[in-house]
Amino acid sequence: MKKLIVALVVIVAAVFWWQRTPLTDSNPYVFAVVDEEGKPTDMKYTVPDDKDILTQENSEQILYGKRLLNETKRLLPDNVGAAMNCNSCHLYQGKLEYGDPYINTYNAFPQFNSRAERVVTIEERINGCFQRSMNGTPLPEQSDEMKAIIAYYKWLAQDVPHGWQVVHQNTGPIDTSLQPNMDKGEEIYGAMCASCHGDNGEGMWDASGNIMFPPLWGDDSFNIGAGMARLYKAAAFVKYNMPMGYTMNRPQGQGHVLTDQEAVDVSYYFTQKPRPDFPAKVYDWPSGKKPKDARY
Amino acid sequence: MKVTKWVTIAALLFVAVLGFSMSMPHWYYPDAQAYQLDMNDPDVLAKGEYAAIAGDCVACHTAPGGQKFSGGLAMETPVGVIYSTNITPDKATGIGSYSYQQFEKAVRQGLRSDNAPLYHAMPYPSYQVVSDEDIQAMYAYFMKVVLPIQKENKDSTIPWPLNMRWPMHLWQMVFAPKRDFAPIADATDAINRGAYLVEGLAHCGACHTPRGIAFQEKSLSADSNNHFLAGAVLEGWYAKSLRSEATGLASWTEEELFDFFTTGRNARTAAFGSMADVIAHSTQHMTAEDRWAMVKYLKQLPPKKGHQVEFPEKTDTTTNKLLAGDYSDTGALEYVEHCAACHRLDGLGAARIFPALDNNSIVFAEDPSSLIQVTLEGARMPNTPHDRMAFAMPGFQHLSDQEVADVLTFIRQGWSNNASKVEVKDVARMRDFVKIRPSHYVLGSEK
Repeated sequence: MKKLIVALVVIVAAVFWWQRTPLTDSNPYVFAVVDEEGKPTDMKYTVPDDKDILTQENSEQILYGKRLLNETKRLLPDNVGAAMNCNSCHLYQGKLEYGDPYINTYNAFPQFNSRAERVVTIEERINGCFQRSMNGTPLPEQSDEMKAIIAYYKWLAQDVPHGWQVVHQNTGPIDTSLQPNMDKGEEIYGAMCASCHGDNGEGMWDASGNIMFPPLWGDDSFNIGAGMARLYKAAAFVKYNMPMGYTMNRPQGQGHVLTDQEAVDVSYYFTQKPRPDFPAKVYDWPSGKKPKDARY
Repeated sequence: MKVTKWVTIAALLFVAVLGFSMSMPHWYYPDAQAYQLDMNDPDVLAKGEYAAIAGDCVACHTAPGGQKFSGGLAMETPVGVIYSTNITPDKATGIGSYSYQQFEKAVRQGLRSDNAPLYHAMPYPSYQVVSDEDIQAMYAYFMKVVLPIQKENKDSTIPWPLNMRWPMHLWQMVFAPKRDFAPIADATDAINRGAYLVEGLAHCGACHTPRGIAFQEKSLSADSNNHFLAGAVLEGWYAKSLRSEATGLASWTEEELFDFFTTGRNARTAAFGSMADVIAHSTQHMTAEDRWAMVKYLKQLPPKKGHQVEFPEKTDTTTNKLLAGDYSDTGALEYVEHCAACHRLDGLGAARIFPALDNNSIVFAEDPSSLIQVTLEGARMPNTPHDRMAFAMPGFQHLSDQEVADVLTFIRQGWSNNASKVEVKDVARMRDFVKIRPSHYVLGSEK
């Protein structure tokens, strides 16, 4: 009897010991959703974990899309001219607010494009990136690769209906009335950018042949037709996302370091550097309503 | 009758122990020497500042956001929180009224000016071996150079009767016995200089040596018991083994270690947590000779008995799997989602920017505490003039315990790493622990 009581006490104590720390669930990012007219809805959007991909029927296709976005240069060398991956700009696999996310991409197209002054399809928009930011050639619209990339976007949009939008900002505000200062920009570049992007803007590759920090100018950088070549677009990106691995901001230690003025100065420094031309630029803004920071 | 007898015996015994203990400061230590240096000699002051830097006094004697040396940093002990003291020369609240003899007793013997014993959060067991010359120079520096700051010391939260200090006299006699620095026979001058620094001022053992039942360091020098610098957990950080064994410094070259002491990083890894403080305040400011001396000394420490000298060779299959899009290993998908943007598919990171996870000794350490804590809480490299930027990693508290355990197990067993699994309950416990941990020193926050 005594032994039994001792055993019971030990078991109960062990269970308490084991149970004393409750396990913690993940704490995902949740956003509101608005309908076609921008009115609030009851729907909430939760940024999905990649594990959720495995529950999808076309999980292989989605994972292929995810890989193409992460490792574009290595996997699609014929289509990517620059040393650049999609996710060089679309941070955290397109899940990061202010980091050019893909969360609303699938549901937002076809969409009016002010540069083309017409409605463009999602395939055209993706190929815009391939031809401008990645200074390459378009993917065939019916290719497995194009379909895989769109499948990833569709998965990322979860069950948000087409036309509705997650209240999740692609980019943050920047004061576009600020005038850039080249000398200050150069100074900031040296102190805050060159460690990764190189003193000559040449970027950095990892040991297994993937581009890690993209070149910011020169032959391997984005061409003159890219959004990133525009001063204030670049400045907004820099302000909210750069440097990376520098702050305690989740999930990538990104941004919120420079003032608007500093972001404008440093963006002026690298956007004005030599970079590949984009011959099809002649078709942009056909009626001439160019933004003031266009390079052409 | 019988009861009264026993009570009397117990009371007498108690009084005897108390008396013996309280009398200890008067007979146990040698008489303090007279002060022999010129306190206004700039060379003495410089030497004193150097000793204070090597001793890293500022790291513990400065609260987050507080004035240098004014104390108030909280330190978690198993029985409550204690606070470091004001060691500025303020006469009312600091050590301004300390004579040299009192200063020497505090630093090397752990006795306050009123002869009460100090808690051994103050590494006086290590400082015992510091030379008279260094202690005297340090006294001059604190009295003549350090700015006096008026700031009252905070009481500890240790409850009565555990907060009584007198039993600590007995602790000191048993665990911090008086001793002098003992050079290693036949070793080079550099190795002995390294031993003097590592065992003494740098007090590396305070974090890196395992502690015993009375919270004493199991060994204070490289003696035969092999516990010295064999790795230990303190405040939820695992300070790795510094011995030449697989999980210790065997995978580090001398150059890498020197680079680490100088710049807080090398091509493979970077300092974080308390070690980032040590680099920022201490080792980077030491002379190159002294940094080399510590390297030479550490690299000749033999492995602990029974510890693996080197890991068996393991071929990396992880990189090719990830490059081929095979995410079937548990934790691989999470790795690619949350870690690979910086640490890369090959686990090699970016030299001096993002630490490698493959073959990084904190990743495959015996105890994963530091790895878990860094993952949950994030960390920052120290800033040194060598590199233009000091990088940081944010915390990943938003991941579940299961996700953190999976991804860390993937990392500890991926590439050429060969370490044990991280359990879900280990992550849960660390999450719990960091919630109650007192806020620690924040790099660069001092005024």
